[in-house]
Amino acid sequence: MKRKAFMIDTSLCIACRSCQVACKQWNKLPAEATVNSGSYENPPQLTAYLHNKIEFIETEENGEFKWLFLNKRCLHCSEAGCMKVCPSVGALYRTEDGLVAFNKDKCIGCNYCVNGCPFDVPRYDAQNKIAKCHGCFDRVENGLQPACVKACPTGTLTFGDRDQLIAKAKSGGKQIYGETALSGLGAMYLLDNKPQDYALADNPTIPTSIFLWKDVIKPLGILGFWGAIGVAMLHYVTVGPKQLEENGEEKGGGNHG
Amino acid sequence: MGNYVKRFSAFDRVVHWVLAIAFFVLVTSGLGLFAHTFFSYFDFFGGPEQGILAHKIAGIVFFITSILLFFAHAKDTCSFDSDDSRWFKGFGGYLSKDEPEIPQGKFNAGQKLFALFSIAATVILGITGYIIWDPTSMGRGLTQLSLMLHGLFFIFFIMGAVVHIYLATIGNPGTVDGMLYGQVKKIWAKKHASKWYKEVTDKK
Repeated sequence: MKRKAFMIDTSLCIACRSCQVACKQWNKLPAEATVNSGSYENPPQLTAYLHNKIEFIETEENGEFKWLFLNKRCLHCSEAGCMKVCPSVGALYRTEDGLVAFNKDKCIGCNYCVNGCPFDVPRYDAQNKIAKCHGCFDRVENGLQPACVKACPTGTLTFGDRDQLIAKAKSGGKQIYGETALSGLGAMYLLDNKPQDYALADNPTIPTSIFLWKDVIKPLGILGFWGAIGVAMLHYVTVGPKQLEENGEEKGGGNHG
Repeated sequence: MGNYVKRFSAFDRVVHWVLAIAFFVLVTSGLGLFAHTFFSYFDFFGGPEQGILAHKIAGIVFFITSILLFFAHAKDTCSFDSDDSRWFKGFGGYLSKDEPEIPQGKFNAGQKLFALFSIAATVILGITGYIIWDPTSMGRGLTQLSLMLHGLFFIFFIMGAVVHIYLATIGNPGTVDGMLYGQVKKIWAKKHASKWYKEVTDKK
């Protein structure tokens, strides 16, 4: 099946947060107590019960105050750091539409995905199970739009065939964030400003330590383990063990048993 | 008893074997987190959550016993002399059968190196293990680095353990007696640790 994706055109966003509310409603996520942090942005972070949110980034342009609005969520990376580190097969999985979904029953609560994600997205709920945007795969499989997309009144959020979304954005002359990063994000941004202004990496990658851990240390380690056993066995049958001479020591005589 | 010489106290032996058991609990419970291939090892513990708990408990036991064992032998393992450098240059005589044994103290240079490696790896695994105890408590960068180092030193340790077990059992017959019964054959001591043998027999 062709890969589906989100296209998020930030220039259209008015920060109404219908997406936040619709997500909570469809996914039956409870409201949470929050705090006033002196910004309209609220709550301040993604949580296990808040799978997408609008960031209010305060900037200045030509001496005038300006907001940048960014829909934070799981970006459904093709090369997904969370899936790379997850020890439990099937706890995080890719749907036929290319979304990164999860199965709480298989989640073992190790929190590795929290650290493997390039975008700091996965959260753990009160039962110590993973929670994040799963692209409303249940709706998508049944021909519906994700809840957030359905609710978006401005067309900021769109969802559909990934290639078509990219072609459409390009024909509009827009710069796409995430077309090729991490082998292609499943949620791409059309940004007004530079990625840094949104605290997004120019070229997001799997965290270096995580790459070294899973792609270098793990395979070399398995090789090293069997290599050590191989060397020991080889030594045993070639040079051989250091036998004790029960009778007639080379030097110093000794006791005879 | 005339053919034997005392090598390890009951304390040494108990601590060593508690450490060894903790090590294998750590390996079996940790492998499930390390690679998908070994995920089913969690079944030994009744499930992944219980396996992770066992890993944490065994980690504390291993850390404490490793520190105890190190300090119990520190005076024998922390100094190297010219015989030791000769030992290293000749790869401990393990590459050929004809090399005469180089005089060694209670522990040979390789064993001393393993003791120092073990304590260093224990400390690093202990610190990184503490950081990833709750992998959301310390900040992502530090946790990511700790996950990597924990995996790296696990690899070093399992390779070290393979070599250690081989050399202490079938690679050097008679060696394991010391850790099992506390005493080794005199001919073993003369061959493998002649300086130590001289020391303990002169005392008598």
